Amino acid sequence: MSVRYAWLRALARPTAAIGALVVGGWLVVAVLSHALAPFDPLHSMVPLMTPGAHGPGGTVFWLGTDALGRDVLSRLIYGARTVVVVATAATLTAYALGIVTGLLAGYFRGHVDIALSFITNVVLSFPVLVLYIVIIVALGASAANVVLAVTFGSAPAIFRIVRAITIDLRSRDFIAAAITQGESTWRILLVEILPNASGALVVDFCLRLGYSAITMGVLGFLGLGLPPPTPDWGGMVNEGRTMAFAFPHLVLFPCLAISSLVLGLSLLADGLRQPAGRVGRG
Amino acid sequence: MGYASPPGVWDGGRRVLDTAPILSVEGLTVALPKGADRSLAVDNVSLELRRGEILCIVGESGSGKSALSGAIMGAPAPGLKVVGGSVRLQETELTGLSERAWRRIRGNRIAMIFQEPMAALNPVMPVGQQIMEVFELHATMSPAERRERALNLIRSMQLPDPERILRSYPHQLSGGQCQRVIIAMALAMNPEVLIADEPTTALDVTTQAQVLELIRELRTIQGHAILFITHDFGVVAEIADRIAVMRNGRIVEIGEARQVLTQPRHDYTRELIAAVPSLAPPSGDASVSAATGSEKKTVLAVTALAKDYGRVRAVNEITFDLERGTTLAVVGESGCGKSSLARLIVRLTEPTSGRVEVNGKCFLTLEGSERRASCRAVQMIFQDPFGSLNPLRTAGATIARAAMLAGVDRRSARALASELFDRVGLPREGLDRRPSAFSGGQKQRIGIARALAMNPDVLIADESLSALDASSQAQILDLLRKLQKELGLAILMITHDLRVAAQISHRIAVMQAGRIVEIGPAGRVINSPEHPYTRELLHSAPGRGLV
Amino acid sequence: MSRRWFLRKAFGMLLTMLAVSFLVFTILELNVDDVAVKVLGQFSTADQRQAWLQENGYTAPFLLRYLRWLGAFVTGHWGTSTYYREDVLTLIAPRLAASGLLAGAALLVIVPVGLLMGVIAGVREGSVVDRLVSVFAIVTTSIPEFASAVFLTALFVFWLGWLPGVSTMADGFHLRELVLPVGVLTLYSAGYIARITRSSMAEVMQSPYIRTARLKGNPLRRVIMRHALPNALITPVTVIMLQIPWLLSGVIVVEVFFAYQGFGTLLYQAALNTDIYLIEACTMVSVVVVVLTQVASDLMYAWLNPRMSFGSSGRAAGSG
Repeated sequence: MSVRYAWLRALARPTAAIGALVVGGWLVVAVLSHALAPFDPLHSMVPLMTPGAHGPGGTVFWLGTDALGRDVLSRLIYGARTVVVVATAATLTAYALGIVTGLLAGYFRGHVDIALSFITNVVLSFPVLVLYIVIIVALGASAANVVLAVTFGSAPAIFRIVRAITIDLRSRDFIAAAITQGESTWRILLVEILPNASGALVVDFCLRLGYSAITMGVLGFLGLGLPPPTPDWGGMVNEGRTMAFAFPHLVLFPCLAISSLVLGLSLLADGLRQPAGRVGRG
Repeated sequence: MGYASPPGVWDGGRRVLDTAPILSVEGLTVALPKGADRSLAVDNVSLELRRGEILCIVGESGSGKSALSGAIMGAPAPGLKVVGGSVRLQETELTGLSERAWRRIRGNRIAMIFQEPMAALNPVMPVGQQIMEVFELHATMSPAERRERALNLIRSMQLPDPERILRSYPHQLSGGQCQRVIIAMALAMNPEVLIADEPTTALDVTTQAQVLELIRELRTIQGHAILFITHDFGVVAEIADRIAVMRNGRIVEIGEARQVLTQPRHDYTRELIAAVPSLAPPSGDASVSAATGSEKKTVLAVTALAKDYGRVRAVNEITFDLERGTTLAVVGESGCGKSSLARLIVRLTEPTSGRVEVNGKCFLTLEGSERRASCRAVQMIFQDPFGSLNPLRTAGATIARAAMLAGVDRRSARALASELFDRVGLPREGLDRRPSAFSGGQKQRIGIARALAMNPDVLIADESLSALDASSQAQILDLLRKLQKELGLAILMITHDLRVAAQISHRIAVMQAGRIVEIGPAGRVINSPEHPYTRELLHSAPGRGLV
Repeated sequence: MSRRWFLRKAFGMLLTMLAVSFLVFTILELNVDDVAVKVLGQFSTADQRQAWLQENGYTAPFLLRYLRWLGAFVTGHWGTSTYYREDVLTLIAPRLAASGLLAGAALLVIVPVGLLMGVIAGVREGSVVDRLVSVFAIVTTSIPEFASAVFLTALFVFWLGWLPGVSTMADGFHLRELVLPVGVLTLYSAGYIARITRSSMAEVMQSPYIRTARLKGNPLRRVIMRHALPNALITPVTVIMLQIPWLLSGVIVVEVFFAYQGFGTLLYQAALNTDIYLIEACTMVSVVVVVLTQVASDLMYAWLNPRMSFGSSGRAAGSG
C-alpha cells in the first residue's frame, strides 16, 4: 500500500482532521496578519476598552484594548505570526542538530555515542526552564536568543529519539545488506535510515512545535521573552496579569490562543501517530 | 509419581484407554471479524479426543488451528466469535458457559501450553509462585503443601535443582526449562485434556526432542488426552497417534497417524508431506549436481577464522574451502556461532584472527575503494523477510541500486532488475511495488535477486528459509538449486535444519560451540555420522523414520 | 545490584555535575565585564568596575577563577546576593523547602490520579473510558501552566470566589492557598502520567503471560492485580521520578503566578535582577535535584525489574 495514501487517510481521521484545521487556521492568520488585523498592534489608542466597545471613527475593538491602548485582537493576530515564525525556526534548528547527532551516535556507537550521549545528559540535567533562564540572562532577550534557548532545550530529546530509532534500524537486515553491497555510510544514513524514521519524527515534530510555542509563552509570561513592544502572547499575559480581575480579557484571549494552537498540534500529532506506529515496517 | 495408573487395554504397543471420547467437538464454527480474507476462522470442525492419545492438528499459518484451540478453551482471540457447534468435555457442554464456570475449568480440567515459553511466564514473578498459583485457584491447600506439590511437579519434569528453579525468574531459565515449567503448571491439577499450541516451535532441535519425549510420556504413562497443534510434519510424524489436517478453517483429512502419513487420501495432505524436505539427499533430476566439467575451482577459502566477544570465543578457528558450483551447509543449533561465521565472511563484523580468501585474493584486509570493488564477490541473503528489504523502496529500485553499486550504469541497472525478476520467478509488475505487497517467500526471492545483481561468486544464505512455511521453503530450495546449475554459484547455506541441508548441499559441516566438529559429503554425514554431536542432531530430528 | 553499578552511577553523576558547573560558570562568568555590570548595576563607571574586578579576583585567568569558584561552591560558600544582600545559601534553604512542600503536595495528587486513570484506560482499551482519558490527557498536556492558572483563577477566584488568588502565605500556612497551585501542576502532569500508564498497561494486557494467567483460571481482577500491574507499573513509576525535574520548571511558573514564596520566585527575581551569584547557586541546586532523581529513577527501575537486578550473571547453565 502506498505510504502517501496512508498519510491522507490518517488526516481524514477526526482527531487529525480537527488538529489540522486548527493549526491550518492559525497558520493562515499568521501569514495574512497584515490583512486580518484591524489595527496596528503597536499603535496606542484608547486604554482598557472592554471587548466589543467602539473605537474612533466607527471601528470596533472586538477583543478590547490593553493598558497602553493597543487593540488586543490585532496584537493577538500578530502574536500568531511571532509564535509561528520563532517556534518553527527554533524547532527546525533543534531538529537539524538532533538528527545529525542522533544519526551519528546511533550508527557508529562507541566513542562517538558516549561523547554525544554525555553532552546530552549534561544538558538534560537542567530543568528546562532553568536552562532557558540561564541562557537568556547571559545573552539578553531577543528573538535569536529565544530560538537558541528553545533549540538547546529540545535538541537533546530529539537526539535521543533519533538515536534510538537509528540503533533499532541499524540492526535490521536491509542495512546489513547495504553494507555488504558497499553502500557508503552517508547514503545509508540519509537514504536508508532517515526516511524510515520519518514517521515517528513527523509526529514528534508536531508535538515539539507545540512545546516550543509553550516555551515562548512561558518566557514571555516571565518577562524573559521577546522584548516589548513585540506582540507576544506570553508577554500579553504578563502585562495584563495585575489587572486581570477587572479586565479579564487582557489575559483570557492570549491564553485561549496559545492553548488552542498547542492543542491543535497535539491532536494533529496524535492523529498522525497511527500509520507511523511501527518504524518502517514493511 | 503420585498419580494413579489409568485402566486400559494394550493395542500393538500403545495403550488404548476406554473408547469414550473425553473431548468431543461437533460442528464448531468461529467467525472472523469483518474485513478478513475469509468469513470463518474455523468452519464446521468436528473431532474427538480420547484418553491416552495424542491428536495432532496440522496446518500452515492461517489454517485456523490456533483459532480452534482458543475456541475450545473459551478464550478466542480478540475479534473472533464462536457462532455455532458444540464442545463437550465428558458431560460438560463448554460452549456458552459463563465466565465464572470457565474459571473453574481452565487450568483445572483443561490446560494449555504455548509457543514462546519465556514470554508466556510473568517476568516479574518467580516461577515457583506461578506454579503454586494454580493450586491457589483450584485447590484448598496450605502454603507449605502448595510448595511441596510444586517442587514435586518440577522434579517430575526432570529439572535439576528444583529448589533453585522454584525461586528463579523466567529470564534466568533457558527456553527448554521454561517450557517444562509451563508444562508443570498445566499438569498441576491433573487436567483431563492438555492443549499444546506449537510448544516446540521456538526451541532448539535437541531441546525439542526432549520436550517431545516428555509429552509422549505424559500420554503413555499418565494417560492424558493431548491435542497437539503444529505446522511441522516432522514433529507430527514423531509423536502423533492420530492426525487432523486443517486448511482454511476446515478439516480436510483426519485419521490414524500411520495411515495419514503413508497413504494420505487428500491432495492437500500429500502436498504438505511432500513439501517437507527429506533427510535423504535427493537423486535424479533434483539431485545436486557436481561442478560442471572438471573445473574444480576453490572460490572461498576460510582459514582459522576466529572471533572473540570479550572472553567468549564465538567462532573458534574455523577452516574450510568452498568450490565453484557446490553448496556447503553449516549446520548447528542456536548459539553455535554459525551466524557469526557468516557475518565474519562478509565483513559485517571484523574477525579477531584468521584469513578469508576469495578467488585467491585476501578478502579481509582490503579497505576503502578496493573493498567496495571486491565486496560484490560474496553476497548474502538474510533470515527475516520482513527486515531484509527497505520498506520504502520498490523492489526494482532495490535491485537496481545493488547493480549500480557493482558498477553498472543506471539504465542498464533497471534492465538488469527486470531480467533478475524473471530469473527468480517473480512477475514483472512487482518491480514497482514496495515490499509490503509481497509474501514472505516472494520477499526472499527479491533478496536473492538483489544479491545476484552484483554477480557474486559466493552466495551466503543465513537461515534464509527459517521464516518460511514448508511449501515456500521447497520452492526457494528449488530456485537455489536451479541458480547454482545455471550460474555456477558457490553457496554457503547456514541452517539449523538438517533436512534443508540434506536437500541442497554437496557437503555438510556441523558446528558446535564455535567449532566445526564434523565435515564431509552430505550423504556420508547423514547416513554414517562420525561425531557424537552429529549423531545427537540426527537422532533429534523429528519424524526421522517416517518423513 | 552490584557495587560496580553503584560506582559507575556515582562516577557518572560526578562527571555530569562537573560538566554542568563548568557550563554554568562559563555562560555566566566568562565575560568579566558583563559580571561587573550585573553586580554593580548599569550606571556604574568603568573605573568602579575595574576596581571591583581587581578586588574580587576577576583579573585571574579563567580556569583559575573556575576552580576557585568550584572550590567555594562545594564548601558551601555560595556568595552574596546583590539584590537581597544576604548570603545566598541562607536565602535558598527556606525557599527550597517551600517549593519542596508545593511539589510534594502536587505529587500526592498527581501520582494516584494519573496512575488510576491510566490503569483503567489501559485495561479497557478502546472503550469510552479509554477515549475520555486520552482526550483529557491531550487537552491538559497542551495547555501551558500559566494559561491553566489563568483559567482556574478565572473560574475559582473571579467567578466563584471560592479560593484566594494569591498564595503568599503572608499570615501563616493556609491549605486553601495551596489548592490552585497544586491544581495547576496536577493538570499537566496527571494527564502525562495517565498517557504513559495507559500505553504501558495496554501493551502488557496483550502479552502472552497475561493469556497464560487467564487460561490458568484466574479471574480478571486477579489477572490485573497480580500479573498485569506489577509489570505495567514499572515504566510509569520510573517516569514519575523523572517528572520531578519537570515539576521544578512548572513550579517556577506557578509560584510566580500565585506569588508563592518559594525557590521558583527566588530564581525569577534573580533573573530579573541579573543577580549572578544567586542564579548560579539556584541553577546548581536544580541540577543536583535533577541528577539525584535520575539516579533514584534508575534505582527504582532496577529494583522493580528483576531482569535488571540479576542481569546475565544469573543465567542457568545449559539448555533443556
